[in-house]
Amino acid sequence: MIFFVLLLVFVTLAQITEFFIPPLGWLYNTHIYIVPLIVFYAAVALPIPLMLAVALYAGILLDALTVQVIGSKVEISLGWSILLYAVLAGFMHGLRPLFVRGRWEVHCLLSGICTSLILFAQYLMITFRRGSVFFSPQVWWQIGGPGLIAMLMAPLVFWILHWLAHVTAFPYLPERDRFE
Amino acid sequence: MSRTNIIALLVFGAILGYFLSFGAESTRKFQAGIYQLLAPFLSSGSGLQKQITQVRSGLKSLEELERENSGLRVENRELRATNQALRDVEQEVNRLRHALNYRERSVFKLVPAIVITRDASTWWHTITVNRGKEDKIEPDMPVVTDEGLVGKTTTVSASISVVLLVSDENCKIAASVEGTREQGIVSGERVTTGLVPSLYLNFLSKQADLKPGQKVYTSGVGGVFPSGLPVGSVKSFRVRELDGQAQLTPLVDLSHLEDVFIVTGRK
Repeated sequence: MIFFVLLLVFVTLAQITEFFIPPLGWLYNTHIYIVPLIVFYAAVALPIPLMLAVALYAGILLDALTVQVIGSKVEISLGWSILLYAVLAGFMHGLRPLFVRGRWEVHCLLSGICTSLILFAQYLMITFRRGSVFFSPQVWWQIGGPGLIAMLMAPLVFWILHWLAHVTAFPYLPERDRFE
Repeated sequence: MSRTNIIALLVFGAILGYFLSFGAESTRKFQAGIYQLLAPFLSSGSGLQKQITQVRSGLKSLEELERENSGLRVENRELRATNQALRDVEQEVNRLRHALNYRERSVFKLVPAIVITRDASTWWHTITVNRGKEDKIEPDMPVVTDEGLVGKTTTVSASISVVLLVSDENCKIAASVEGTREQGIVSGERVTTGLVPSLYLNFLSKQADLKPGQKVYTSGVGGVFPSGLPVGSVKSFRVRELDGQAQLTPLVDLSHLEDVFIVTGRK
């Protein structure tokens, strides 16, 4: 349970940190996202109820801090990020047997892809709202860039979180990973 | 699937449904609440970021000094570092004096604000500033610098406000072009294509034939932005099927904003 609370704290800290990380100008203003990596780690490390709780919390934070209310309309309703996180986390949880067998690379790659999928879904939603659908190379970079960065960061983030799970003796870890 | 999982899914669905049912006003209130909760962290994070930047720039100048004056003694280095620090202070004093002058000669009632965070997400161009309801700030108030229009406030909590930048596609501004009778609507780009964001002045007449460098000002139509605030300068003009469109360069450097003013009314 300590590990679960720690994950919620990390989600909060990561969400605040994202505010202060400048976008990468040399990569089409690509933003760096850390929170999805924590959510996706939670997806493979936690049981379903706790995974949903992390997705719920991260989604609420993301929507509350980024969604735009212009006049009397909300561009993307509060709650859509929760749904996106939950669906993608559910998908990652389905691949937990690989994680249990120690095949982390699949989840690292998928974390990047899922991060991009979140941005892609957001872009589709705002496009339908605003009209004039277009996909330029810049758009693809802004969707794919954060995914690539997330893929690169995933091994380190996963390793740190996994180590913390060990230290806090989290009981849901695979048998062979637990401290004796 | 176990009973616990089913119950968890049902509870999750109920909470999700609750949030999805939020309207604009409830969303704004909820956002303001979350921003207020995180306000201490955002403010201290902003301070920390400034300190790190200062330390980084300080180290950089020391490296340069080392290269240029390898033979100088430690006292000399200290003196140079002090000089550098004083120059930074002088620069800041000049910047604030400039801002204060603007505040005094402006015809608007201006509330000064410091930028805490910028560009938190990929698809929306926003900044947050350290003023809120406690300073009588409300949603849809224009935000400016002495150079021109920055944007308008959207979500306002007790001590923090979110500012939608002019470079965002959702920030629509009624504007007119200097020296002409041309009027149109300025909006930003959905995705920034270059280092400097571009603005677009739409719904101009096909005969407008605007020249590069012509200034664009708010026209006052719409009620949010008062007339006469500089928005940008014309970069290019093109005729489309139904109207004319000008590409503008914003007058304010939106990527390096530090201090802004929120327009709360006229003097």
